[in-house]
Amino acid sequence: MRRTLRIYRRSLGAHLRAVLEYEADFWVLIVAGLLFQVLNLIFLSAVFAHVPALNGWSYPEAVLLAGTYGFVNGLGPLFFEGTWRLAGKINHGELDYPLTRPAPVLVQVVSGGIGLHGVGDLIGGGAMIGWGLAHSDIDWSPARIGGALLLLASSATILLSLIVVGNAASFWVGGNHPVFAMTLIRTGDMAKYPLSIYGVAVRATFTVLVPYAFISFFPASWLLDKESAWIGLLTPLVALYCAYLARLVFRHGLRRYDSAGH
Amino acid sequence: MSLVEARGLTKIFRRPEKDPGLRGSLKHLVQRRFKEFRAVDGIELSIEAGESVAYVGPNGAGKSTTIKLLTGILVPTAGTVRVAGAEPHTDRMVNARNIGVLFGQRTQLWWDLPVRESLALLRDMYDLSPAFYKQRLERLDEVLGLADLLPVVARKLSLGQRMRADLAAALLHQPKIVYLDEPTIGLDISVKDRVRQFLRELREDGTTLMLTTHDLGDIEDVCERIVIIDEGRKIFDGPLAQMKDRFARVRRMHLQLAEPTPAEKLAERLPDVEVIAGDSPTEVTVTFDRFTHTAGQIIAGVLDVVEVGELHLDEPAIEDVVRKVYAGELLR
Repeated sequence: MRRTLRIYRRSLGAHLRAVLEYEADFWVLIVAGLLFQVLNLIFLSAVFAHVPALNGWSYPEAVLLAGTYGFVNGLGPLFFEGTWRLAGKINHGELDYPLTRPAPVLVQVVSGGIGLHGVGDLIGGGAMIGWGLAHSDIDWSPARIGGALLLLASSATILLSLIVVGNAASFWVGGNHPVFAMTLIRTGDMAKYPLSIYGVAVRATFTVLVPYAFISFFPASWLLDKESAWIGLLTPLVALYCAYLARLVFRHGLRRYDSAGH
Repeated sequence: MSLVEARGLTKIFRRPEKDPGLRGSLKHLVQRRFKEFRAVDGIELSIEAGESVAYVGPNGAGKSTTIKLLTGILVPTAGTVRVAGAEPHTDRMVNARNIGVLFGQRTQLWWDLPVRESLALLRDMYDLSPAFYKQRLERLDEVLGLADLLPVVARKLSLGQRMRADLAAALLHQPKIVYLDEPTIGLDISVKDRVRQFLRELREDGTTLMLTTHDLGDIEDVCERIVIIDEGRKIFDGPLAQMKDRFARVRRMHLQLAEPTPAEKLAERLPDVEVIAGDSPTEVTVTFDRFTHTAGQIIAGVLDVVEVGELHLDEPAIEDVVRKVYAGELLR
């Protein structure tokens, strides 16, 4: 495990150094990520200019929610960017070499790139979280801080796992682009608004079938002591389940891999 | 036990069977039909440590698929593989440390990274000690001229440079056995010579080599043993010399005659052989089967008709044999 982590870290580091060679790109990407979060904020502000609260969520609370989603989403490009290249790799038979190396293929795939716009997402999302927390009424205690961090880590695990699951679908779907993963992850954007504004069907889908609601809504509900806040405490379990699922799906997919040419 | 052992190795691919055009594609969505394709069909293969084996066959014969089965990239449909005691697709990690792989058509270098970074990543994956890594780099630099390439990003390398860097990547951990799938493809003569020289040195160091190639020069320069496959089946396996003996039946003799002689006249004297007139009236080429005629009989036959000035006999070239295999002549 430690060895695996070291390989992951080194590979990611090498890609980071490669990206940093292009200084202009670096700033453009970070600003792009930031802009995306600012757009989110503008949209929220527009909505709250007309209503004082959204299904019991005040403006700062909604900002906290959207910020959490944005923050967690920034981790994808930073730490799991390589996953998005899986479809192309499968299509072109580029998993041949990773399969002949003594390191887990998933680790080699996941660490095969880095997207610096994630930094912008982290900064933007982080700022929104900070502002939201400062303007919300939270009864802080050491347990609450620890819980919040655990839920944040869990929510990150869920999103990263979903990225792996979505991209691993390429083992079955084929094609050069991760269409399935794109759809899966972009649908998750709905989770940056309070889940309670949606109908029962959508809520059920996002809670049970694809657990986007556990990325931001349920953890934030727990922190803010909203209705049925206890569900938020299930987030670590959902995270474990998702990580397990990702591993399982990737493994099964890899067995289907039949290279290119013959 | 041999270093590499394949028994009844078989790989069947399933291909969607579609009618042409959009209509065919749509129909396939509803009514899925597949066709099976045997890329590798019951291959038996044993390679001893230290051997260098050429794995030859026409395009689509199943060469690359075999390599992918032996390296654990593909899971066999039937049959077994053992490489240094490990089953490649199940003991993937164990196997990976024993083998080095090069697919000439593709690079294993990280596209956006300098060669140095790629090699360092491989060092980490193979758990090479700093001292060993340094020593290997020095050795590889000696034979491949690596030093100039280290700071260059992979995508900026020329094909020849890329192949040298890729060879270094495949051999960094000093594998017991190296599989090379078309290691000289697309290279110019001088780089090709350099690569072959390197492969010979590798062989002398005791590394086991298996290489697929369409370049017969690679085979004669590097390999002692040749395995020929076609349509997924093995059709010859033995020493290079033996292959020439067995398959290179046809010999060609070029004669310079003392006076102009029509080819027909010689043909009358030499039944069952082919006599073709050369560029000038005093030249002929006689093609004969060395199992039915000896060179002496041919010369004696010609001397009955006309004096011979000069003659020379073509050495049986491995190219002729392989060309015939490719043309499907040896199968029946």
